[in-house]
Amino acid sequence: MHEWSLAEAVIEALTQVMEQEGARRASEVEIIYGEMMELELDILKFALEELSKGTPLEGSKFTFNEERASFRCNSCGHRWDFRQVHELLPEDLWVSEPDGGRESPIHFIPDLAQALMVCPNCGSRDFEVESGKGLRINKVILEV
Amino acid sequence: MSDPILGKARSKLRKMGRITLVASGKGGVGKSLVASSLALTSASRGYRTGLLDLDVHGPSVPRIFGFNGELLAGKGGLIPPVINGLKLMSAGFMVGRNPLLIRGESKFSLLSFLLAITDWGDLDHLVIDMPPGTGDETIFSLRVLRGVREAGAVIVTTPSSLSQSVVMRLISLLRGEGMRIYGLVENMAYINCCGELLRPFGSIDDDFLRDCGLRILASLPIEPSIEERIREGRFLELPEEFRSRMDELLDGIMGVR
Repeated sequence: MHEWSLAEAVIEALTQVMEQEGARRASEVEIIYGEMMELELDILKFALEELSKGTPLEGSKFTFNEERASFRCNSCGHRWDFRQVHELLPEDLWVSEPDGGRESPIHFIPDLAQALMVCPNCGSRDFEVESGKGLRINKVILEV
Repeated sequence: MSDPILGKARSKLRKMGRITLVASGKGGVGKSLVASSLALTSASRGYRTGLLDLDVHGPSVPRIFGFNGELLAGKGGLIPPVINGLKLMSAGFMVGRNPLLIRGESKFSLLSFLLAITDWGDLDHLVIDMPPGTGDETIFSLRVLRGVREAGAVIVTTPSSLSQSVVMRLISLLRGEGMRIYGLVENMAYINCCGELLRPFGSIDDDFLRDCGLRILASLPIEPSIEERIREGRFLELPEEFRSRMDELLDGIMGVR
């Protein structure tokens, strides 16, 4: 549900770039997002299109690519991916949404994985998130 | 390409009326208590106020306010729980009792998200409870608040010489990075013993005040009943004398132009 606030963040960042570059419009925007965010792309796309209306970004083509999440344990060296541990996330820590749904806090702040996960091999909390979190604008094609 | 989440965090901060970092180089001097009391006083005086707990390793706000419910989210992001008109946000609301092992860029990312996707609404005053030291959270705050005119810090210290020497390093850092400092809070300054004011840790040195060029905005008593109130879930009822000092502190902050 926080796809709307993410869309706002993207629109603000793009608007700033367009102003800096003196661009008339952005024909194409590529967004890369981490798997851990578990974004609903339909909502994000709709939010971006709605927030673009009446701005130089109206009509821009937004494309999305998911970056898979991967983790490496600093204690035992084990590597794993998000799907292997998704079912192991704490069952008592959730964020409730207006539609009655409940999401892991990782959905909102992916870096909280460092508190809510342990290495599935040795149980250590000392691990690295190598990829699959956050959201960035990877490419934007501007028309000046 | 700039980080859209960090950019959003910055733009939210720029829309806030006043931002007060409650900081200290030293741990255990009562930053969280001061930040929470200040925010509570601010809200009770009619300012639309938020309290952001940036101490991600040792969040105190959930415990102080006794919030252990489930966070809600809406279209605008995470909805801060509201207690006595005060909006609260802390990573502690989402991690329970789990320790958080995080450093460097990951911590920057966490702090950016926490600010960017919290639906604060319009705020007159955001109080930020900082962790001790000059680590990632301090660097993040300096970066995200650079150029925000309405932001400043209050520095919490006890009268002990040890606290003063550590605090001076933080003052030096903040000054060097262009962060405005509203003034000092002298915590644990005295205890009211049957009408007699005792100063068990002495007083802040005149030399220290001269060297740092700051004035004391509030001197707070040692008030054992606050711990009792936190334990019993009655923190909202600040002791009268403590509340009066908080009013003075708030006036000192809001009066800065």
